[in-house]
Amino acid sequence: MKRTSKIIFATALFFQLPLWGTAQGILGGHVTGNVQFDGQVSRRDTVIGSNDVPEKLLSNARADILYTNGNFSAGLRYEAYLNPMLGFNSQYSGQGIANYFVSYKTQTFAVTAGHFYEQFGNGMTLRAYEDRYLGLDNAIRGIDIVYRPWNGVTIKGLVGQQRYYWDTRGLVRGFDAEVSLNDVVKSLTDAKTRLTLGGSFVSKYEGDETVLSDVSGYKLNLPNNVGAASVRMDLSHGGFGLQAEYARKGQDPSIMNNYIYKNGEALWLSASYSQKGLSANLQAKRVDNMGFKSVRSVSGEMLYINYTPSITKQHTYAFLSMYPYATQSTGEMGLQADFMYKFKKETVLGGKYGTDIHINGSLITGLDTTVIGGKGTDGYTTSFFGTGDTYYGDISLEVAKKISSKVKITATYGYMVFNPIVEGHEGDLHHNHILVGDLTWKINRKNVLRFEAEWMGSDSHYDVAIDDKRCGDWIMGLVEYNFTSAWFVSISDQYAYNDGIGNYYNISIGYTKNATRLQVGYGKQREGIICIGGVCRQVPASNGLTFSLTTSF
Amino acid sequence: MKKIILTLALTMLTGIVMAQNAKIPENVTIKTLDGKTIETSVIKNDGKPIIISFWATWCKPCNRELNAIKEVYNEWQEETGVKLVAISIDDTRSASKVKPHVDGNGWEYEVYLDQNQDFKRAMNVVNVPHTFLINGNGEIVWQHTSYVDGSEEELFELVKKVANGEEIK
Repeated sequence: MKRTSKIIFATALFFQLPLWGTAQGILGGHVTGNVQFDGQVSRRDTVIGSNDVPEKLLSNARADILYTNGNFSAGLRYEAYLNPMLGFNSQYSGQGIANYFVSYKTQTFAVTAGHFYEQFGNGMTLRAYEDRYLGLDNAIRGIDIVYRPWNGVTIKGLVGQQRYYWDTRGLVRGFDAEVSLNDVVKSLTDAKTRLTLGGSFVSKYEGDETVLSDVSGYKLNLPNNVGAASVRMDLSHGGFGLQAEYARKGQDPSIMNNYIYKNGEALWLSASYSQKGLSANLQAKRVDNMGFKSVRSVSGEMLYINYTPSITKQHTYAFLSMYPYATQSTGEMGLQADFMYKFKKETVLGGKYGTDIHINGSLITGLDTTVIGGKGTDGYTTSFFGTGDTYYGDISLEVAKKISSKVKITATYGYMVFNPIVEGHEGDLHHNHILVGDLTWKINRKNVLRFEAEWMGSDSHYDVAIDDKRCGDWIMGLVEYNFTSAWFVSISDQYAYNDGIGNYYNISIGYTKNATRLQVGYGKQREGIICIGGVCRQVPASNGLTFSLTTSF
Repeated sequence: MKKIILTLALTMLTGIVMAQNAKIPENVTIKTLDGKTIETSVIKNDGKPIIISFWATWCKPCNRELNAIKEVYNEWQEETGVKLVAISIDDTRSASKVKPHVDGNGWEYEVYLDQNQDFKRAMNVVNVPHTFLINGNGEIVWQHTSYVDGSEEELFELVKKVANGEEIK
C-alpha cells in the first residue's frame, strides 16, 4: 500500500469515526450501542459490616456495540471488571469481549450464531437471560433458529453452551413450538376468544463424575442426559384471561437437590379479569425439585437453564422490599392476588381528579414432604395439595390520589411475614407492619419536589449471632429535588430506632441529558438482597462514594 | 490495489453525506397482550410521529409518565397525530399482570410485551423508563431516559416539531 493511499484511507476512517458515535450510516447500515460505567470507593465500617477494599476503587464497565443493516445484524459486548464491585462474584475479575453474535432475520426465518438470549414460554424449561445489575448472565453460545412456516406458528430450535463468567460450560439442546389457533384456523380469525398453545423440550448433556451414595456408599450412576418438557396455553376472551404452564423434568441429581433422583415438576396458573379502571389477577404455582442447571456440580446463581418466577409482588419502596422473596426451586407453593380500581373523577371517593386503589396479597409455603433418604435415593415424597412451613406472606393496600394540579400523594400500608429459613437461617418468623407516604409537589414546570416517609415496626430483634441488619423498628425519610428532567438531588436516611442497628444516610446527585445519565452518590449502602427483574441476590454493605454513567446512542 | 483502497475510502467518505438516523429494527419478536407472537414491523403510524416508551409494571416513574400522558393523550393525538407504543419489559413474574395493569389504569396505548428483552437490547435500553421519538420515516430522532413530573410537556414540544417536519437538535 502506498503512503498516500494509506493517508487517504486513514483520513476516511477518521471521518467515519464520529458517525459511529451518533448511530449513523456505514455502508448502508447503522451502528448503535450503549455504554455503562459503575464505580465505588468504599470505606471500612464495622457497624454496617463493610470490609476493607484493598484496591480502593472498584469498577464494572461494559459497552455494547450493535451493527444493523436490513435483515442482518451483529453485535459485541466488551466487559471490564477491574476489580468487580462488591456483590459481584470475584470470578468476573478481568476484561474482554464477553458476548458476540451475528444474526439474520426475515419475517419467516431467523438464525443467530454466537451468544444469544432466548425464552421458551414462561421460561420453566429454558430461559437464557441477563441482568447486568445482578451480575447474572446465562447467555447461550451456539446456534438459535426461529422458523415461522405459517402465520401464527413459531418453531424454535437451539444448541449451545452456557456462559459461566469468562468461560462457557455444559451443553444444552432445546426445541419449542407455539401455535396461535386464531391465525391458523381461518374461521376463528375474528373470534373474540383467542387461544395460543405451546410446548417445549430441553435437554442437557454432561460427562460422568464421582459422587458417592448415602445408601450404599458406592459411586452414583449419574445420568448423562437430562430432559425437561412443558406444555402451556394462553386463553383470552375480551377482558378475561387464563394462562397456564406445566413442566416436568427427568432424574437430575445435582448439588442443588443433594443428588436425589426424584423427578422435577412445576405448575403455574394465572387468571385475570380487566376492564377500563378495574382489574383483578390471581396466580398460583407449585414448584417441586425444578432447579435445572447445565452443570450438576455448580451451586450459586449461574448456569441455570430454566427460570421459575417468584409470583409475589415486586415492591419498590425500601421497607416493603427489605425482605424480598426468591423462588425456592427445590420446592414451594404459592398464591398471589392483585386488585386495582379507579374511583372516577367527580365522585365522592374520586374527588376532582379520581383516586386509584391497589390491593395485593400473597402467601408462599413449603411443600408437605416426607423424607425417604439422602444422596442416591428419591429424597422425599410429597402430597400435591399439602402445604409445609410458611415461607413468605404479604398484604398491601396502596391509595394514590391527585390532590390538586400540583400535588399528588400515595399512601401505602403493608403487612409482611418472612421466614428466615428461606435465606438458610433458623429462627422465628418476622412479622412487619409498614407505612409509606409519598408526596410529589410540582412547584412549576421546571421544579419538582418529592418527599417520602417510611416506618416499619417489627417483632424481630437484632441478634449478633445471626447478624441480620434488617431486624428491629425503622424509620426513613427522603427528599428529592428535580430541576427539569435534567438535574436531581436526593437526600435520604434510614435509622433503626429500636431493637436494631444501623443508620444509612445517602446523598445522590444526577444529571440526565437525552439518553445519557450520570449519577454520583455518597453514603452507606444497606447490606441485603437487591431484586431487579424478579431475581434476588445478596449485596454486601458498602460505605463511601459511588458513581454511575450510562449512555445509549 | 490502490484503486480498491481509494474506492473504499471514497465510499466511506460519501457515507458521511448519506448519513441517516437509525431506524426502528423491523424483525424483532414481541408479543401482543393476548399472547400472539408478532414482529416490531407492526409499529407504524402512517407517516406521523411515534413515541416508543419502554416501561414495566413495577417501575414507578414509568407509571407516572404513562399516567401523566394519559391525561393529555387525546389532545396530543388531535394536534399531531402522534401514537404512543408502550413496550413492557416485565418478565414472567409480572408479564401476566400487564394487561390487567393497562386496563386498570385506563391506558389507551398500543402495548406489547418484550419478555425476552430482545427489543430492549436492539434499542440499547439500559434502564426504564426510556422513551424514543420516531419521525414519519421511522427514524429515531430523539431519546431520553428517566421521567420527572412535567417532562411530558418537554416531550410534546418535540412531538410538535417532528409532526411539522422540523429538525430536532
